[in-house]
Amino acid sequence: MEAHVLVVDDEPQILRALQTNLRGAGYEVTTAATAEEALSAAAIGHPEAVILDLVLPDGRGTDVCRELRRWSSAPILVLSAVGDEHEKVAALDAGADDYVTKPFGMDELLARLRAALRRAAPSTEPVLEVGDLVVDLEKRRVTVGGREVALTPNEFELLRFFAQNEGKLLTHRAILREVWGHAYEVESHYIHVYVSQLRRKIETDPARPRYILTEPGAGYRLRAPS
Amino acid sequence: MALSARSIYGLCFSVAAVAIVTGSIFAVRDYVPVLSLGVLYLPAVLAVAVFFGLVFAVAVSIASMLAFNFFFLPPVHTLALRDSENWFALGVYLVTAVVVSELAARSRRRAAEAQQREREATFLADVSGILLEAEHVQNRLKDVAAAAAAVLGVRAPRIELGSVRRSEPGEASADLQVGDRYVGRLFFAAGQSPRPAIAERVLPALASLLAVALDRERLSLAALEAETLRRSDAVKTAVLRAVSHDLRSPLTAIRAAGEGLDRNDLRLDEHDRAGLLQTITGEAARLERLVTNLIDLSRLEAGAARPRPELWTGDDLVGRALETLGPAADRVAVELPDEPVAALVDGAQIERVLVNLLENALKFASQEAPVAIQVRGERDELLIEVRDHGPGIPPEDLERIFEPFEQADDSAAGSGLGLAIASGFAQANGGRIWAEPAPDGGAVFTLAVPAADVPAPLRR
Repeated sequence: MEAHVLVVDDEPQILRALQTNLRGAGYEVTTAATAEEALSAAAIGHPEAVILDLVLPDGRGTDVCRELRRWSSAPILVLSAVGDEHEKVAALDAGADDYVTKPFGMDELLARLRAALRRAAPSTEPVLEVGDLVVDLEKRRVTVGGREVALTPNEFELLRFFAQNEGKLLTHRAILREVWGHAYEVESHYIHVYVSQLRRKIETDPARPRYILTEPGAGYRLRAPS
Repeated sequence: MALSARSIYGLCFSVAAVAIVTGSIFAVRDYVPVLSLGVLYLPAVLAVAVFFGLVFAVAVSIASMLAFNFFFLPPVHTLALRDSENWFALGVYLVTAVVVSELAARSRRRAAEAQQREREATFLADVSGILLEAEHVQNRLKDVAAAAAAVLGVRAPRIELGSVRRSEPGEASADLQVGDRYVGRLFFAAGQSPRPAIAERVLPALASLLAVALDRERLSLAALEAETLRRSDAVKTAVLRAVSHDLRSPLTAIRAAGEGLDRNDLRLDEHDRAGLLQTITGEAARLERLVTNLIDLSRLEAGAARPRPELWTGDDLVGRALETLGPAADRVAVELPDEPVAALVDGAQIERVLVNLLENALKFASQEAPVAIQVRGERDELLIEVRDHGPGIPPEDLERIFEPFEQADDSAAGSGLGLAIASGFAQANGGRIWAEPAPDGGAVFTLAVPAADVPAPLRR
């Protein structure tokens, strides 16, 4: 299967490198250098995924995200630079699925792209398995490698949300909204403490987390250990 | 014409004085020759002259003479002035009245003058005080204007520095000028002009004080700018040095490897090509680290690295740093406290601090002697210690190593930015870093940031 990927960046060198690498990896690639080109290319070509630079000569990547989301559900991977943290989070909240920070490694980009393409709607299975981690939503039981773990109600909700969105980057705002409701959206920094406590319960080495990974400045991601 | 309160008092006092003296003479005239009692009117004249001035004193002199004549001098109950003695008495009263009231008036004027001068001196001292402690002259103009209004006796004061505005209807103004230099203008409500003598003294003095304060402000700004420039100059020089060496060498390596791969006339086997490719990716990573450091440093130097504090646990901060370190993190031994300790810091910046401390320590790490990182809460602080087993740091270098482009060992790789950045970010987050010799050789770098309470509802 040749997935069709739209790559949007105004730097010709980066565009060329991405195109070459993506073609080599078996994707069909369309390129665009401006926000306008990107939107029309997406409208004509119906790409299955979009790789989008946040800074474009004729607009912000965030606006492109928002516009695309009105009629397309193709996963969007944004390219951000150091210093763009704010814009990156805005793009994620506007509907982007994931991000990589420039300068990025090609392996990382391809892995993120594969994961984004693979990912379907959030899982609705009653029992979720991520590596050795098993989350039973009906019985509200969590085991790691067969050993049962006692979680507080909030910790369980947090883990449930992570497990239902395995591999997907969850922004602070999305987590707060899902687990604590709108009222807590502003108090994003409490999340770190919760995640820290959850890690102490499910990770073997909380300082080297294998399941719940921190995405600096953006959020968290639950992933099966490689 | 309405009489002022003072003239009413004067009138009452004068009438009372003459009446009392007349009454007293009446009481004692049987025991003392009446003629000699005329002298008793003198104290009344004196008192009135001292307190109420010449006009009242003259009036009292005449009234005294008339009363004495009318009540006591024969023919009694007439105002006939027959004897020259009477004229003489009147003359004495009048001379006394004039001389004493003039003396009293003069001393009153002196006192008033002295009081006004004292007010002016206090005013100028107050203004100097206000302006001396003012960071910006502009911010204290209101206070200065209020003080000036009190001493000048005007209302609704307002000082405008370097103003080109003319006074509007209902408003009067006075220029503040030192020699040829126009400092500004004092505006006040029209209707009450300050006394010219006072204005002449106060306004130039006020203008000089303002001018000095303005000059001082400008000078200190210039000094600050010069200092900033000097620092940024030092950074630029250092950056240039770093660019010339540290940026060039990876670039050279990348270019050489790339061109090697590009040429067809070289005999390269699979192994060689893999080696060249590895050079390219490895050197690119080195460049990336250096560029990140340079950006961090320039943001710190420019004061642009404002932290965005969030509540992080020590676990998280160390975890993030290890994640960023990549494979090298395997050579780090981690020790976490039993209960998580949290701090309100910028996660990304503290991550840079820890990564830089760890990278510094990892230069000396080996399989047998890994780098150790320990998190603990002590008193009100979150402490993170990074311990290496290197050669240690000479005592005289313990502080110098946190300066940009300084390294204890000049031969070590890297541009010496890491510790300076770590220290800068630690300070930006209200923390500090220090180095000390480890008991068993090597060095311990400690990051201390204020610990934060974990909010109670979150413990659930």
